[in-house]
Amino acid sequence: MSYMSAVDVKARKKALKKIERAFSKLVKDILSGKAPTLVIRKRTLANTVFDAERGLLRIGNATLRRSFLNAGEAKKFMQTVLIASIIHEALKNDEYPTIRDLYYRGKHTIRFRDLVTSRIREENTWDEQKESDSVIRDLEVLIDMLREEMLILSKEKGKVVGDMRIKSGDDIIDLSKMGHGAYSIEPTPDFIEFKDVNAEFVLVIEKDAVFQQLHRAGFWKKYKALLITSAGQPDRATRRFVRRLSDELGLPIYILTDADPYGWYIYSVFKVGSITLSYESERLATPSARFLGVSMIDIFGSDKLKKKPYLTEAERKNYIIKATDTDIKRAKELKSYEWFRTKRWLEEINIFLKKKAKLEIEALTSKGLRFLMDTYIPEKIETGDWIA
Amino acid sequence: MASEATAEKFRALTPSEFFYRNRELAGFSNPARALYQAVRELVENALDATDPHGIHPTIKVILQKVSAERDNIFSISVEDNGIGIPSAQVPRAFGQLLYSSKYVLRQTRGMFGLGAKMAVLYGQMTTGKSVEVLTSTITAKNIYYFNIAIDVKTNTPIIHEKGVYRKNNGWHGTVVKLYLEGDWTRSKSKIYEYLKRTAIIAPYAEIVFEDPDGTITYFERSTRKMPPPPREVKPHPKGVDIEMMKMMLKATKAKTLLEFLIKEFQSIGEVTARRLIKNAGLLPDMKPHELSTEDVERLVRVIKSDTKIKPPSANHLSYVGEEIIKVGLKAILKPEFVTAVTRKPSVYEGHAFIVEAGLAYGGEIQPEDRPVLYRYANKIPLLYDEGADVARKVVDRIDWSHYGVTFPAPLVILVHICSTKVPYKGVGKESVADVPEVEHEMELAIREVARRLKRYLSKKKREREEAERAVAIAKYIPDVARGLAKIVNNVKEEMIEKELLKMLNMKLKSFKINSVSDVVVSIE
Ligand SMILES: Nc1ncnc2c1ncn2[C@@H]1O[C@H](COP(=O)(O)OP(=O)(O)OP(=O)(O)O)[C@@H](O)[C@H]1O
Ligand SMILES: [Mg+2]
Repeated sequence: MSYMSAVDVKARKKALKKIERAFSKLVKDILSGKAPTLVIRKRTLANTVFDAERGLLRIGNATLRRSFLNAGEAKKFMQTVLIASIIHEALKNDEYPTIRDLYYRGKHTIRFRDLVTSRIREENTWDEQKESDSVIRDLEVLIDMLREEMLILSKEKGKVVGDMRIKSGDDIIDLSKMGHGAYSIEPTPDFIEFKDVNAEFVLVIEKDAVFQQLHRAGFWKKYKALLITSAGQPDRATRRFVRRLSDELGLPIYILTDADPYGWYIYSVFKVGSITLSYESERLATPSARFLGVSMIDIFGSDKLKKKPYLTEAERKNYIIKATDTDIKRAKELKSYEWFRTKRWLEEINIFLKKKAKLEIEALTSKGLRFLMDTYIPEKIETGDWIA
Repeated sequence: MASEATAEKFRALTPSEFFYRNRELAGFSNPARALYQAVRELVENALDATDPHGIHPTIKVILQKVSAERDNIFSISVEDNGIGIPSAQVPRAFGQLLYSSKYVLRQTRGMFGLGAKMAVLYGQMTTGKSVEVLTSTITAKNIYYFNIAIDVKTNTPIIHEKGVYRKNNGWHGTVVKLYLEGDWTRSKSKIYEYLKRTAIIAPYAEIVFEDPDGTITYFERSTRKMPPPPREVKPHPKGVDIEMMKMMLKATKAKTLLEFLIKEFQSIGEVTARRLIKNAGLLPDMKPHELSTEDVERLVRVIKSDTKIKPPSANHLSYVGEEIIKVGLKAILKPEFVTAVTRKPSVYEGHAFIVEAGLAYGGEIQPEDRPVLYRYANKIPLLYDEGADVARKVVDRIDWSHYGVTFPAPLVILVHICSTKVPYKGVGKESVADVPEVEHEMELAIREVARRLKRYLSKKKREREEAERAVAIAKYIPDVARGLAKIVNNVKEEMIEKELLKMLNMKLKSFKINSVSDVVVSIE
């Protein structure tokens, strides 16, 4: 008898088939004397397209041809085949490798003779995990499947609590009964089944510490929210989970980050996707996500928008941190991205560039957890004071 | 008193006295140089007695310390299998300066009639010992032995001893043995270098050398091919000056001026002879000895300015040839690449000459900061005064990076000039003068071999790059084949491996990989 959940079994079959199809074609080419070539869409900024209509980043149509008989491409070709065969084997053996496992399984030493000097040399199939990670991404693009769908796991980072029940594997989990803890969003969120939910919106918080404070203070109960933290840059599972909450449950998604370019980019990754992994956005981005704060106007106010700041002159003095050169550079970069070139965002960025000041969410809890929980967040949601 | 003190005393010097006083002119300046020079003169005489006569040289050189007490006295013995010396000539050949069989227009190593005698003279001066010669010509029935000294005052040989032995085998050749003061430590490297370079230019010779330390070096014969023997030629009119013309007019047996010009010179036929005579305002049937000094001057001037005389022929010259140069460089230097070129004959001041260049690169040659130059004239290695030699000037002028060479590099350039009159800078025969025509030919020859090196290096580079590219692919074949065979059902790893290698080999131009295991040693 099998202890495996039914969804996993189905996923394995599908992934195996896709890998086999892609590489059978290659073998057929080889056996008929055709140079084996992998055609993979490029994962570069230049080949990243912002689909304004759908509000997300997509991978463009530019492809790279990786021919085994080209000395410059042979190694990457070998690595791609190698990773595919290891993943294929793991799928067949009902395993759940992590990307770190895959790195170790594929790593071995080739001892070869240099025909020029006749000396024996050594080379590893790969040296750093960066290299195996990179061909995993290539494989995802090649067979049009995310690694989670191939049952490859990675570290869990995202957490969720709220009045909601889900089915993970063969178990029902009540997200409202997590005590002081929270449910770690599993690496394969596509296999989660949403059972029932009693929430009106989703609040995603960049900072784990702030998430915990709001959780313990009972924020989600009081305001009928699902509370999520990405604990910094969101991993793919958290993004996919948020996307599903938006798509399948129609819940509005609010994102709360630090008031700095780093926080803005976290928001942007949730909303439109990331540049290097633009091929995933189709499944991971949540174009309807809203930037709740902390905004520059929250800090400084705006005469034009007739908005008063949430901070007093004295609080600003205490909480504001001076922007670094990298912050400034990053802000200027963001300003050049098409999806940041909206009126409201340019305003934000320009205030930042003028004031050269940033602020952490923790500053708001310092002003008072109550202020954050009962004033700042609800008021902003109620008055629609967010950036779409 | 005053007039007596300032009165000059006049007297004549014999050649032997002159060279006794000025021995450094002939290379015998100090014990180290003298030892080297003596070896060289005797070896060159041995070679002159062999290869121009179609004999494959076998030469034995023995250098020994005479006694344990005095470590600066040496004996030199050089034995050859050459044509030998007629017994009547032996005393003067070794005991009278400026006596030679090579005062004819024929390309030989020797030309001054000095070499052997300088060694004898120097030995006599420093050790008091005379020279011993054992010789037999090819047709002689006897072997002759002589012990000879030079009477320096009169430049005549003194025969101390003479012996005649019946020859009961076919031996012919010469053994010369003499004693002299030398400095082995300081001449050792030069003597070895000299013999090595001799072996390079004459790979058809077999040379054995036993040095004073008892070390025996054997340069084996690496080819039986020999250069064409040099032939004696008549002088070319453009190479003859007033004095020489006078001598020739006096010595000729020709009855008329016309006959004299046609018979005694190369490149002059009847038409040319008549034109020259007419232009000089002379008459064809004048008797040769009737020409006045002015007539001779005019004739020589007309010849010098005549533009229609055929250039001197070069078929009397004995060049080494591309093949032998390559064999020699290869056998001694063991390079990775070797090439040689023999230029067409050319002319300077009425003398025909041929320049040859060889080039050896890589292999066992040690990299140096500039090209190592091996200079030769009439097959003699030139070791001293390299800086003054025109060949060095030419080699240094060339931008070698243009030919794909960056220094330090393992590059040896051989330059050989052969002529009946090599324009040496001195009687020591150590460097060739800057004659524009010679310089030009050397440059063309060196650039030609340099171009071939460039072609070789760029071909090698292309091949190396191709091999690198091939390995960059081949080393991954096993992993790719295994990976694909694991994913796709019903295909054998070996099958994929075979096909991939086949496709790779199809792309390769300069070589093929027989089996993946030639490249991949193991996967672990
Ligand atoms: N080994 C030998 N075999 C045959 N003949 C010899 C040998 N050594 C010397 N001779 C004869 O003795 C002559 C004198 O030799 P010597 O070396 O003094 O002068 P050279 O060779 O004519 O000129 P150079 O001074 O340029 O060497 C030679 O011309 C040659 O005829
Ligand atoms: Mg001589």
